[in-house]
Amino acid sequence: MEPILIILCVVVGGLLASLGAHLLPVGGAPAAMGTATGIATGTVQIMLGAAMTGLFTAASAATFTDSLLLVALSGAIGATVMICVVMLMANILYTFGCGIVPVSGRVDVDPLTKEPQAPYKTPQTDGHGVPNVVYVSGMLGGFVGGFGGALMYFALLNYADFTAGTAAIGALSIFVPNAIIAAYNIRGTIEGFHDPKFKRLPFAMVTSLVVSLLCGILVVIASYLTVGGTM
Amino acid sequence: MTVTPAVVEEEPTKKGLSFKLPLDETEMGLVAGIVAAIVLVFTGLPAVIKGIALILAFLWGMDSVRKTSKYGLGTGVPSIGVLATGFGVVGALVGLALAKYGSIEGVAYPAVLVGAILMGVIGLVAGILSNHEKVIAMKIPRLERAMMELGMAGTLIILLECSIVTGSLNFDAVVNQVLNTGLIAFMFIFTCFGLLHPYNACLGPDENRERTRMVAVEITGLICAFLGFAMIILSSSSWALWNGVSLLIFGVAVWAYFFWLFIKACMDEAYETVGTGMIKTIE
Repeated sequence: MEPILIILCVVVGGLLASLGAHLLPVGGAPAAMGTATGIATGTVQIMLGAAMTGLFTAASAATFTDSLLLVALSGAIGATVMICVVMLMANILYTFGCGIVPVSGRVDVDPLTKEPQAPYKTPQTDGHGVPNVVYVSGMLGGFVGGFGGALMYFALLNYADFTAGTAAIGALSIFVPNAIIAAYNIRGTIEGFHDPKFKRLPFAMVTSLVVSLLCGILVVIASYLTVGGTM
Repeated sequence: MTVTPAVVEEEPTKKGLSFKLPLDETEMGLVAGIVAAIVLVFTGLPAVIKGIALILAFLWGMDSVRKTSKYGLGTGVPSIGVLATGFGVVGALVGLALAKYGSIEGVAYPAVLVGAILMGVIGLVAGILSNHEKVIAMKIPRLERAMMELGMAGTLIILLECSIVTGSLNFDAVVNQVLNTGLIAFMFIFTCFGLLHPYNACLGPDENRERTRMVAVEITGLICAFLGFAMIILSSSSWALWNGVSLLIFGVAVWAYFFWLFIKACMDEAYETVGTGMIKTIE
């Protein structure tokens, strides 16, 4: 077991979880009524879903490879696919079910495609659905979050020498507080990297760093006491 | 000419709730913490007693969730319940790793409580950073204490559940029977719901603590029934089998009784709800 590598992987994973939560299109309750951009649920549910899918793919990859990059990337791909499908389904429901166009509420012109947003926005609302820039941001968020979760899983499995089940639940448990602290930082809803709230990212990063550092130390203690080895 | 009112006004008779634990939030935390810690250390106790300690621990966690969520988190009540469970699993792993120190095999494992204390420290740090003006600035009164209590309550709950299923707190036994069988996934979700669901379901202008607590006890009953079922399936001796059967019966009885109490309380209190009539339309 390698204590420095465990702590490093857990801290990096926690920071990536926090960054991923900031990039996701979280709509919350207003999005459920079609009056805000994003997926109609809280950060926790979206991030937990993405991270769990990522952990499943990462765990499958970890059964036949010892490469850190391969395991972490497969986790990232799993989370990205999951979040993309959710965003696509949200768009289908909003467009064909409610009859509203996906449009961002925070910017007048899409920063990536330069499409105008403001003329299509219903007055008194905060955008609808998942427009292009938000979709790209959500993809990045899923990728980053899944990468972080899988990184923690790999560290717990191979460096801390836990069994696969223990490593998976441990990674999920360290991932969850980091994502939730990020959710508190963004106060419920966020569109992605173009949202003004994204500038609050450093605050969540500091908290995430401290919490995941402490969790990493606890994992090292647990690993040292159960599996044994040289510090 | 006098117009007689169509409906004779009756004095609303508010029936007293039949479920009352005469403890405020601080006392509840102390009692639940101490009882759960004592029951947790002595793993040889019957599963039903552990189930009672589990109910107290859930009531403690629910109180902490309630007093934090009252101020509005911005992300919904579920987030804080999931946070507590996440902390709880990490704390439980550390507690189980420490369990072998100073233990009497199969009887008492005092060192597991260190896991709960360490998680309390991490919860306190997370709470201070979340509430600090220069960091996340959530501005929720007493968030530090609530997060510390949630870390400790979450750890105690997960450890109690492990102790119920395996009958000991030996790391290898727990890994084989709880973690590798996948039971931990159910425990994770059920613990989340036990902590977050009572307040999430009852919140609103007419929320009161007694009614919310009934939901907490009712969900714990369901968790006990589920753990009893798991014990019956995993049992290797007749003692474990009968322990499981007794816990299953206890859980179903608690669930049924408190579900009935909760519905009754809802009906009693809904009697006073005043209709506001139709919304007037502008001509």
